[in-house]
Amino acid sequence: MVAAMDATIEVRGVHKRYGRTTAVDDLSFSARPGQVTGFVGPNGAGKSTTLRIILGLDAPDEGTALVGGQRYRTLRTPLLHVGALLDATAVHPGRRARDHLLWMAQSNGFPGGRVDEVLELVGLTSAARRRAGGLSLGMLQRLGIAGAVLGDAPMLLFDEPVNGLDPDGIRWIRGLLRSLAAEGRAVLISSHLMSELEDTADHLVVIGRGRLIADTSVRDLVAAASKDQIQVRTPGRSEAMTLLANAGATVTAGDHQTLTVSGLPAERVVALLGERGLPVMEVTQHRASLEEAYMELTRDALDYEAVAVEES
Amino acid sequence: MTPRRARCLRRAVRAEWTKLRTVPSLPWLLAAAVGLTVAGSAGALASVDTSQCPSPSECFEDTTKLSLTGIRLGQAAVVVFGVLAMSSEYGTGTIGPTLAATPSRRLVLTAKAAAVTTAAVVAGAIGVLGSLAAGRAILPGNGFTSANGYEPLSLADGSTLRAAAGTALYLGLVALLSLGVATAVRDTVGAITGVLALLYAVPIVAQIVSDPRWQRRLARYGPTEAGLSVQNTMRLDDLPISPWPGLGVLAAYAGLALLSGLLLFQFRDA
Amino acid sequence: MGGHAPFGRLVLAEWTKLRSVPRWLMALAAVVGLTLLVAVFDKASDSSSDAEEGEPLEEPDFSDEFHFVHQPLTGDGSIVAHVVSQEDSHEWAKAGLIMKERLEVGAPYAAVLVTPDHGVRMQWDFDHDVAGSDDGAAPRWLRLTRSGDTVTGYESADATNWQRVGEVDLDNLPSTVEVGLFVASPDAVVIKRQYGSNSVNETPTRGEAVFDRVSVEAAGGSPSPRDGEWSDYDSADEPEFGGSSTESGGVFTVMGSGDIAEVRRPFGDDLVELSLSGAAVGMLAAAALGALFMTAEFKRGMIRTTFAASPGRGRVLAAKAIVLGGATFAAGLVASVIAFLVSQASLRNTSRTPGLPELSLANLTVLRAVVGTAVLIALVAVLSLAVATIVRHTALAIPLVVLPLLVPSIVEGGLPLSVENWLTRLTPAAGFAVQQTITRYDTAIAPLVGLGVLAVYVAVALGVATLLLRRRDA
Repeated sequence: MVAAMDATIEVRGVHKRYGRTTAVDDLSFSARPGQVTGFVGPNGAGKSTTLRIILGLDAPDEGTALVGGQRYRTLRTPLLHVGALLDATAVHPGRRARDHLLWMAQSNGFPGGRVDEVLELVGLTSAARRRAGGLSLGMLQRLGIAGAVLGDAPMLLFDEPVNGLDPDGIRWIRGLLRSLAAEGRAVLISSHLMSELEDTADHLVVIGRGRLIADTSVRDLVAAASKDQIQVRTPGRSEAMTLLANAGATVTAGDHQTLTVSGLPAERVVALLGERGLPVMEVTQHRASLEEAYMELTRDALDYEAVAVEES
Repeated sequence: MTPRRARCLRRAVRAEWTKLRTVPSLPWLLAAAVGLTVAGSAGALASVDTSQCPSPSECFEDTTKLSLTGIRLGQAAVVVFGVLAMSSEYGTGTIGPTLAATPSRRLVLTAKAAAVTTAAVVAGAIGVLGSLAAGRAILPGNGFTSANGYEPLSLADGSTLRAAAGTALYLGLVALLSLGVATAVRDTVGAITGVLALLYAVPIVAQIVSDPRWQRRLARYGPTEAGLSVQNTMRLDDLPISPWPGLGVLAAYAGLALLSGLLLFQFRDA
Repeated sequence: MGGHAPFGRLVLAEWTKLRSVPRWLMALAAVVGLTLLVAVFDKASDSSSDAEEGEPLEEPDFSDEFHFVHQPLTGDGSIVAHVVSQEDSHEWAKAGLIMKERLEVGAPYAAVLVTPDHGVRMQWDFDHDVAGSDDGAAPRWLRLTRSGDTVTGYESADATNWQRVGEVDLDNLPSTVEVGLFVASPDAVVIKRQYGSNSVNETPTRGEAVFDRVSVEAAGGSPSPRDGEWSDYDSADEPEFGGSSTESGGVFTVMGSGDIAEVRRPFGDDLVELSLSGAAVGMLAAAALGALFMTAEFKRGMIRTTFAASPGRGRVLAAKAIVLGGATFAAGLVASVIAFLVSQASLRNTSRTPGLPELSLANLTVLRAVVGTAVLIALVAVLSLAVATIVRHTALAIPLVVLPLLVPSIVEGGLPLSVENWLTRLTPAAGFAVQQTITRYDTAIAPLVGLGVLAVYVAVALGVATLLLRRRDA
């Protein structure tokens, strides 16, 4: 791994317009080495555009994107510095899997043997001589990952890496991404599903409608979303709800006999319920799921909101 | 060129060559180019004999040029080849990985041009050799014997050698032209239709345009007729354009296409 | 749920697809633009041209050259002769009997004659021609009978059984006309190869025929008073080819050259065809559109949705063909009408062919050429649709369609005319014949027959495409 330069992916003040639509609006963030940075946002938020700008495929109207302090297009052997998987289906269907990696290796001066190494790493050795048109989506994804790790680069970009993988594959790639980061690499993954990042990402960059919404660690984000929320389990739920609401708390019902209460400290809630003789089975500090936190954050930024179905 | 630049170029060319040889359709297209050239030449040779002339020795037939007629068919396969070398990257999306591996657009285009031209010239050479062999086999049977004043085709003859080499180069230039147009328009269909129109329709237009000045201009500066002027071995003073300058005209077309392709390639989003 | 969507809805769906893709609409525009390119170009470059010699000389549009062994006949009567032999100097060499009003070029006539390749014919007034027996060649008996203003021609193999060939009513025929034997032989078009191209020339030919048992009878059957006194008349243009005749013991050997017929201009410019020839370029865009219209389905996987029911696939292809054919026909019609109107004037100015008529769309032949060109373009588009269905690759389909259409033009001039004509007859390029309005030395195939050849290619391609669509997985 090339360690000479500071392996940080840096986006500074990037603007990108396509016609009249602003795809990316004054975006700035960093993906640092040793971390998995999750780049999250709803569909159409500008994630793919940003990644393409980082790789020099598209040019920003304003701002810069740097990898290790340099612009991508100035790198002579870029695969040594940055490995990327943007679109696993970007393979010629008539070409054999191995040959697809071979030309990549040759373009940056890697020996042919390196191709076989990465194929083994992703578990595609048996499919190496199959034509890409005959590979399943999951296999194509793994082929793309092989291409990304071909140069053993200190910076890695993945756009929707778990797309098309089965649960085993998802678990495998989570492990791979974490181990890559643990080796000191900067790993930037983009996704529109929060759940897949829950156990993988350390740092989150949340965007919506091209703008930065949050740039924080996972822990802090969840904590902020969970703030002041207590979870109470009690059999007399409806009565408890009315009681607590009257006391000024915001109450929402969860599953079974659970209530999520915010606005009152835990002791007060227990006291109120006890006065009424409502048994309290369980009291916990609510930990919002990343999903909830994310939903909360991006609610306004969602371009395509599904219409809520009225429940009678 | 600095050693580092040379190394970059070498690597890029190697990668482009691998791309060309690992997609089955591309080698097949080159084979088709050879096949069509030889078949076309054989057909043309079989259809001409000295009995059609006032007398066998008054045919004044340019047997070399006749033997090389098939290139007019074979070039269609090379057009598709040259276009696909670039446009298939856009069609399949592999332009992303290509530019990620080699960010310098100029380097990518240069490497593609080198690989594509070499392949086309080699195919052209094989096609030419096959055509000349067909000529040696068929011509004497149709009355084009040395008794009538027609020497058997031979590469030892300077003008035949020029015609042969020039025809192989012609095919290379057609490939370059196609590559350039494909780089500029990125669209397979548009590029193929455009280049085929340029190569095949211009001679047709030249026939139907009534203004004799324009007829002459089209004969001199139309890519096909100018480029194939190099096949002439007789009456060189009477040609609308001389052999090598004719090839130069085609080279100008190819160069223009490549240049516009490069400019668009460099400043456009991928 | 059974049954397929009604066909009309399929067609509407395909039309919606076609008009919703800007690139495809551009291709349609390109069909028009490219076809017009040459016509507009010609018009623009013609403005510099000549207020030259004024109107070209009016040439007569008939030819009246032959050698005549004749005598006058007064009143009703007939002439009979046995044509012993005729030299095959030209497929349309003529030897036979003629009644001519007077010895003047252009005077009305009626003739019954034999030809080497076209059997027995009766002809009159330069543009009327009736066929007798197909295999009627010399030796043959011929008879011409005059009764009032009516002249009737007969033929026979044995002078006993006569078949009538034709009958004509020549207005105001004078009581005395010239009757007799005649021989004519038209110019031949000779094509030689030199310097690698075809050199084409018209050379005069001279024909010879031998007649015996010649007799002229006045009405009633009695021999005409002047039987035996024959004179020679020759109206051939070329002095060296002047005819002659000799007679010995009732056997006449007559030689003559020229033709009594409408003028044939084998090298004349076909202005209509020239004005429409931009279609050779415009059809490239039509081929591109046809291929795109089908391969778009394969690419986006839409074909699975469109082809949910396998037997319905043939109907979808048919719907596509109808929509595509209709759209390209419309575009082609716009282009060919404009091309024709725009370039007529400038083409007439620069043409060196004398006696060109003013042409308009009201003329049926012109209309056939113009509408036929639009049909041609539509057929090319549908052919491309079918070929793209078969090979599934646009890149491959377009050259496969375009090359056979252009092959005859590619080899033009470099290969012998007969080879070029065979290529035209056998390839889809035959379709371009629909643009022809005159018959030239290089006419390969009749206009509608040529269009028919292209139509056959299209039909076969559509058939194979339908078969493959039904068999294959989408």
